[in-house]
Amino acid sequence: MPMRGLVLLLLGLLLAAPASGQGGRPLRVRGERALTFGVVFPGVSSHVNRTDPVGSGEFSIRGEKFLQVLMQFTLPASLTGPGGAAMPLSFGSGDGGFSTTTIGAQAGFDPNVGGTGQLSKNGQGSVFLGGTAQPTAGQAAGAYTGIVVLTVIVP
Amino acid sequence: MRKLVAVALAVLALVVFTTPVYAQVNNASITATATVQAPINVTAVNNLDFQSVFPGVAKTVLVTDATAGRWDVAGAASTPVSLNFTLPTNLASGGDLMPIGTWTGNHNTTATPAGTGFTPSGTPTAATLSGTGALFVYIGATVSPLANQPAGVYTAAVTLTVLY
Repeated sequence: MPMRGLVLLLLGLLLAAPASGQGGRPLRVRGERALTFGVVFPGVSSHVNRTDPVGSGEFSIRGEKFLQVLMQFTLPASLTGPGGAAMPLSFGSGDGGFSTTTIGAQAGFDPNVGGTGQLSKNGQGSVFLGGTAQPTAGQAAGAYTGIVVLTVIVP
Repeated sequence: MRKLVAVALAVLALVVFTTPVYAQVNNASITATATVQAPINVTAVNNLDFQSVFPGVAKTVLVTDATAGRWDVAGAASTPVSLNFTLPTNLASGGDLMPIGTWTGNHNTTATPAGTGFTPSGTPTAATLSGTGALFVYIGATVSPLANQPAGVYTAAVTLTVLY
């Protein structure tokens, strides 16, 4: 009978093994704030700093404490407006930022390339994004929007 | 039974030593937004015209006069703007000058000089475009020909700059 007990124990371990292999707190990414250029004028470029507490885009990341993460953006080349009109959009090498504390304490990175970061002891981090809207001289008036996607990878 | 234990141990070993550490991936999106403001167009409609004046006799054109100056402004609907004037102190005819001053103004969202009165100057005057993005600006002034003002046609530019 001890053999049968051992077998049951091993089977139990087998069943439990996959669950324990995936770790504890799940990785979660959430969009917190839109990247907002506000009112822009035809022919006049408008830049939003990643440290702008109102205009910059923001994502939050939650996961295991001190978790190392890779951050990759999918960035739109333009915003789409009335009748499908496109407004060029660009992102500079310093327009991405990561912080585990305040918006002013970011470590910058190139959002076109991606960056790395380490979550805080509470398993938290924030990703910020700035950019430049470049309306043309003949840009049609109206509201323009685009989608920015942040993918976070734990290697 | 021994065979079963052996198999179980083998499977356990496989699990323990070959269970991959899965990479975690997650993503989220935000929007990027911008609103393009309609450009402001300012059109000079009427010149401020004093017509004939006489030496030593001041003449005033009121904003309600047919010869008052007028600009039409078109821009984004219901949007605040500022009116900024560059005003001459003299009209000129060659090297001869005729003083001009005592500027008066009126802006309205309809094409009549019965809106809001103001004193044109280089200091911005606040106004708001109509629901269709229109504003009409009228200007008057007084010229004061000298007693010995030489005859001639006297002119000067009066410039209105409108900003959001």
